[in-house]
Amino acid sequence: MASVPPLPPTSPDPPPESGTARTGAAPLDDPAQRLGLALVCAAADPALSGVLLLDLDPRLVDPVARLFGAVLAGAAEPARPPLVLGASDRDEDLWTRTRIRGGEHGITVRTEPGPLTEGDDADGAPPLVVVPDLARLSVAGMRAAVQLLGADVVTVERGGPRRTVRPRARWLAVCRSADVGRVSRHLLDRFAVRLSAAGLRLPGVREALAEPGPGPQVGVAGEGEAREELFAGLPAAWRSAAEGGIRPVPVGDAAIVRARELLGPDAGVRRELALLRLARTLAALHGRPSASADDSDTAARLIGVAVPRSAPGRPESDPAPSGPAPEPTGPPGTLRERRAAGGDGRLRTREGDRGLLDTGPAEGIGTAAGAAPSAAEGSPYPEDEPAAARDAVPLSGPRRRTTGPVSTRGTVIGTRRATDLRDIAHVRTVREAAVHQRARGTERFTVAPVDLHSNVRAAAPERVLVLLLDHTCRGGTGDGNRPEVLAPFLQWAYTSRAGVQVIEVGAADAADELRAGSFTARSVLDPRVPGALNRRAGRATPLAHGVELAAHTLRRLLRRQGTGPAEAWLVVVTDGRGNVPLQASHTGRFAGPVAASGVEDAVEAAARIGAMDRTRLHVAVVDPGREPYGDLPYVLADRLGAIVVDGRHAPGAEATGE
Amino acid sequence: MSGAVPGPRILPYSRVVAQDELKLALELHHVVPRIGGVLMAGPRGTAKSTLVRAFALMAHGELPVTLPINATDDRVVGGWDLDALIRGEPRPQPGLLEDAADKGLLYVDEVNLLDDHLVDIILDVAATGVLSVQREGLDTAKYLSFGLVGTMNPEEGGLRPQLLDRFGLMVTAETLDATERHRLLRTVLDFEQELGREDSAWLSAARRDDARTRDRLTAARRRVRDVDVPDQILELCARAAERTEAVGQRGEIVAVLAARALAALEDADRVTPGHLRRILPMALRHRRPEAVHGDTFDWEPDDEARLQDLFEV
Repeated sequence: MASVPPLPPTSPDPPPESGTARTGAAPLDDPAQRLGLALVCAAADPALSGVLLLDLDPRLVDPVARLFGAVLAGAAEPARPPLVLGASDRDEDLWTRTRIRGGEHGITVRTEPGPLTEGDDADGAPPLVVVPDLARLSVAGMRAAVQLLGADVVTVERGGPRRTVRPRARWLAVCRSADVGRVSRHLLDRFAVRLSAAGLRLPGVREALAEPGPGPQVGVAGEGEAREELFAGLPAAWRSAAEGGIRPVPVGDAAIVRARELLGPDAGVRRELALLRLARTLAALHGRPSASADDSDTAARLIGVAVPRSAPGRPESDPAPSGPAPEPTGPPGTLRERRAAGGDGRLRTREGDRGLLDTGPAEGIGTAAGAAPSAAEGSPYPEDEPAAARDAVPLSGPRRRTTGPVSTRGTVIGTRRATDLRDIAHVRTVREAAVHQRARGTERFTVAPVDLHSNVRAAAPERVLVLLLDHTCRGGTGDGNRPEVLAPFLQWAYTSRAGVQVIEVGAADAADELRAGSFTARSVLDPRVPGALNRRAGRATPLAHGVELAAHTLRRLLRRQGTGPAEAWLVVVTDGRGNVPLQASHTGRFAGPVAASGVEDAVEAAARIGAMDRTRLHVAVVDPGREPYGDLPYVLADRLGAIVVDGRHAPGAEATGE
Repeated sequence: MSGAVPGPRILPYSRVVAQDELKLALELHHVVPRIGGVLMAGPRGTAKSTLVRAFALMAHGELPVTLPINATDDRVVGGWDLDALIRGEPRPQPGLLEDAADKGLLYVDEVNLLDDHLVDIILDVAATGVLSVQREGLDTAKYLSFGLVGTMNPEEGGLRPQLLDRFGLMVTAETLDATERHRLLRTVLDFEQELGREDSAWLSAARRDDARTRDRLTAARRRVRDVDVPDQILELCARAAERTEAVGQRGEIVAVLAARALAALEDADRVTPGHLRRILPMALRHRRPEAVHGDTFDWEPDDEARLQDLFEV
């Protein structure tokens, strides 16, 4: 099977009658066109099978996925429904499929390979795997992606079918730049085609694809129409290349040198290879016999890598006259309009099309102001920025409890052979028994001890950190050492994989300055947590409401039957000065002079926390040491039953101002 | 194995650029399988997996027996052929460990991501040399011996010390300089282009070079038993292990075997201190206390300095 399937020759088609084609440059001045071209390249060359879109508006995930499916399927056949991977996918779902049917001899079971392992000897369009949020993909999904993306070969060894194939599935993943720290670099590195989709609009496409049809045939026309609209500026030969593949053209040394220049000395080999493969595919799409340095430039512009003005006298430059070089770098969509007049690739905008965010992450969690700054705008490699906290071993299997009462709590993440009768996975057990029925030859359906399987459960968070942050105790300028003071608590939360609840009081940008704000994070690595440590101070301090929220949170956690935390820390960072009475927080109105009622209400609310289960709850108050009223944190700590941490001289703290 | 993958899709072994230490470790293990395996650590994109597959294709003409990180335990230790069982035919299906014993090699890609219960199975079999299966109506016990070859990216976490010690040799992927990197990119792109050609001279030349390497390894395998190991080498080996505070005795045993394999590869009649010195980092780096209790595998100048006077004439 060493032969390669016949591929169409490099495009003999005459170039399209547009300015872009005449210059030999790809239409890179429009995000939608860039996306379309990137999808064509990923479809045409299996080595570019992974596409990662950064900061794509969540509403566009479905249209883009269906568009990619349509590109892969071509005009002649309907697109295959994509396989969507998310937070709950398990190995059992990904690699094999069990078909259970009733028959004259009772239940029959057939285990088949799953769609991920479809090899390149299969017919038809390659399958499409869609990951709507890469940062939330399950560990099993991430591990599958690492094994499959760009792999020469993948081996499947799970009960039933054994397979060794060259995978041909294409992947479309979406991730916010702010979340890349939560994704393994090992995994990010496997996506060959990466581009920022912030500010992407698909005029017409969203409307055309927004109504999923009930059957496979319905909506096909809409997709085709939408695709025609999106690819109006692209020649038909490119679309046929996407369907049938394209023969690689030689890559000149100048292209290699240029690609390495563009990516810099610290880029990994995979990144360089991806850019060169993209350049090679672009050259073939343009009908050129080989890839030159210009193609490396074009590939870099396509994915958003900054392209400095090239040095004169570069070897292997394309003999065709090039169009004016676009301004280097900048976010996608801001490059100067370079299409020649008369080109029909201009996308029409519809009335009512809402522009999406041009900057910042798309909607979703973690958009709180003050979050860690994301990478350079439009960069396809946001993980190169040092800002994001990252999990130490994101690809390691989830920790699981195998002993004690907690082993029967938490989310089911798989099954394993049972060693006792607790937490039996009934469906898996019956499926296992069904396989053996005919061999056992019993009259009735029999479940033997060896059929028993129990659930494997992810360890439920057994520890919780509740942070109550009073932003007004920092004098309005930020004292810069708050992260250092809190470091021991944050480290504890990280090492124990604690869940985090952050309650904020007195932020300048609070939604309601009379009320405390709150958010829940899965771990301290959530970018909102470091963001909350550095917020600017506002004027109002609804400390009493913050303490009340903390009390509610802790009570809810500690009362949770069966899955409550074994240990919880409440850390209160405040100078104790509240100027919003609890009633004002509740009603939104002041009912007279405040005086000391804001402080008194906070102390009263603290007493409720002091009366809670102290075998599981520990409380600390961080005293910023502000005068006058320097004793207020101690009063609050006394009611909370808390230890007091001196926040003025944190060990090793440096006023970095970060 | 179903769905056999043709070799030419994997970059030929003779065309893998640089990574001489990785290649040497695989070749030594091939010459003396009793070395017990090779662990390759290195950052992403350093051709670790490609190299192992390319080596297996060159040396055995087929891909290595591969244990994927999401394998089920019935596939590791063996069980019943599921399709046959459904038809009412109880037909045992050998597991990967048996396959590996037949071929002499079990390859685990991303070995540091392997699930703990699979690690336990491998450790049990590797430690006792016996695969005992008492489950699902199976009652078998077999003597098995195989070499483990694993690749890992230390960024994603370390290995349990017990498993680390099961790898006879450990090597770390080198960072390529600009010239080598350019050559690597050139080679990979040329290879992908040549795959589409009917009679590619490029691929033919690579296959010829692979065949020459295979012949060289086969000759070394035959010759290795005749290579003499002087007492001086054994003493040097023991002292080197002592100086580096290597945990256990497996390090010095493997070092002697590997030095002997290197001598055979170089067509020497006896092992010299030079042979030993070249392979000591591979045999001892993962058995030093700092490697056993952490994730640092680098062989630093300090380590080299501790052995300096041993090898000064």
